[in-house]
Amino acid sequence: MKHERRGQGLSLPMLLRRSLLHRRSRTLAELVSLTVSAAVATALLTLYASLDLKLHHQFRAFGANIVITSQNAGQPLPPDALAIALQAAGPDSRVVPFAYAIAQMQDGSSIVVAGTDLTGARATDSWWQVSHWPENNQATPVQVLTGVRAAKALGAERFSLTYNGKSVPLQTAGTVRTGDAEDSRIYLPLDAFESWTGVTPTTLEVQAAGSTRQIQAVLERLRLALPGSNVQAVHQLVEAEANVVSRTRSLMLSSLVLILLTVAICVLATLTASVLERRRDFAVMKALGATQRHVGLLFLLEAFVLAMVGLLCGYVLGCGIAYLIGEWNFHTAIFPVWRIAPQVALLNLLVAVLAAAIPLRILRHLEPATLLRGE
Amino acid sequence: MSVAATRPETIIELRDATREYRGHAGTVRALDSISLSVSRGEWLAIMGPSGSGKSTLVNLLGCLDRVDAGSVRIAGKDINTLSRKELDQFRAETVGFIFQQFHLIPYLSALENIMLAQYFHSMTDRKEAMAALERVGLGDRAGHLPSELSGGEQQRVCIARALINQPPVLLADEPTGNLDAANQQIVTGLLRSLNQLGHTILMVTHDPEMAQMADRIVELHHGRIVAEREASLAPHTS
Repeated sequence: MKHERRGQGLSLPMLLRRSLLHRRSRTLAELVSLTVSAAVATALLTLYASLDLKLHHQFRAFGANIVITSQNAGQPLPPDALAIALQAAGPDSRVVPFAYAIAQMQDGSSIVVAGTDLTGARATDSWWQVSHWPENNQATPVQVLTGVRAAKALGAERFSLTYNGKSVPLQTAGTVRTGDAEDSRIYLPLDAFESWTGVTPTTLEVQAAGSTRQIQAVLERLRLALPGSNVQAVHQLVEAEANVVSRTRSLMLSSLVLILLTVAICVLATLTASVLERRRDFAVMKALGATQRHVGLLFLLEAFVLAMVGLLCGYVLGCGIAYLIGEWNFHTAIFPVWRIAPQVALLNLLVAVLAAAIPLRILRHLEPATLLRGE
Repeated sequence: MSVAATRPETIIELRDATREYRGHAGTVRALDSISLSVSRGEWLAIMGPSGSGKSTLVNLLGCLDRVDAGSVRIAGKDINTLSRKELDQFRAETVGFIFQQFHLIPYLSALENIMLAQYFHSMTDRKEAMAALERVGLGDRAGHLPSELSGGEQQRVCIARALINQPPVLLADEPTGNLDAANQQIVTGLLRSLNQLGHTILMVTHDPEMAQMADRIVELHHGRIVAEREASLAPHTS
């Protein structure tokens, strides 16, 4: 509105302020609706943006997603295979070597022993239920991780095993339970295993980070770097991860659209009620010479101011909700993603504009004379 | 002889003005070929039962609507030829509204309600608005909200608001319909003095006594003027 002001007169901001403050409860209802809209958009978009990372982080807990073995089953991998694999897999991936041998217990029965990088295994196989990880690789006797079934068969924490006539004293530092073959094995530090058995790793377990496409790229690099080895993806895990990520993303987008539509309907109802309540005020303004543009602008500015305040409150609230959802579901904090702020602002404005469309139509069709005559 | 015929200048002229509304039940002719002239400075009372077309006539005279057939000329302009924007501006400059229900904006003070009319007309002027408020005897109530004013006081604010842009035509719709006897007298006195100052007043009323204050009375029925006569109490000066 282009009118000049003389002295201390009326201004558009003053009209807006008075109007919003006068209708406190209605203003609050509109503000709450628009805050909810912004909070939902912020929370879901923040989660959406962080979803890949968090879900891949979750899937990493399920262990390796690529396994490298020799082309001849049971044969050792080349001595430099670990170094090559580490380089090819990239800095975000983990590579853990495993060497296996069958040793004899004191009663003559056989048991599988495995040599590995226990620190790497601890990080890669974080889903293993371990009572206590061996911490001192140099201790004598050698500290080992014993499967729960193996521990039962051994019957003591300190014991000796024999391989090719060579005995070594070992001590159980902790037990491992997986419900699978690991429960019947004994895990030693790789150095101690190699010096005892002379057997080198036959398997490399790779935990590649990133999306399905990134894992596929790591797989290709490993195949190129180790042409004489079998490089296989753990398909169930990779496919499950891809499916879960894709479905969760779709679910979140659908939820976002549905929730925003619901909120838009709420805002629409509130704004429509707001116009209907004040149709006589608007009719008076029209009778006093206000153009359709004046009245529409006044109403739209009210909606805009509330949308902006709602956006600020909702953004803060939405970041808090995303943080809590991250803590509760992924056990890791999800921090604000600043790049989604324009999208949230756009969505909130879209909700406000959509919700204001019908009230604006009502305003356009107001008939001042009829309304002001109380008919 | 018509009173209007003796007056020199016609400010409002309706020629075969027809307004129809189309609805589900068919077309309703709210005004049916009405012809009416109002002279500058005249006080015209419009009477008639509900559904007689008074609201439609108020719409047309207040530049809030247009005719389907015929013409409406106000202050020399055919309002059917004006664009929507021009009509809004013309209304702000030409017609001052006085409503039965006062219709003050509830969150603005008495003074600000008057300034609102200035705001939509051109620019606000606090001094001028204050002077208008003082003219209706409410200088000491400038900062009060409508809810803090009596019905009579609200109607006086409404009159001050209608006058602030000095429109040549005042459209008063049942101006004393919601007032007690004492306030009726005050408002009637204000209208009379405004008329004596040269304002043309078009007043819709159900009250025959109030109608007698006017120069002339027209009666509507089923969208047609069924009677037109001079009022008996009018202090004619022509």
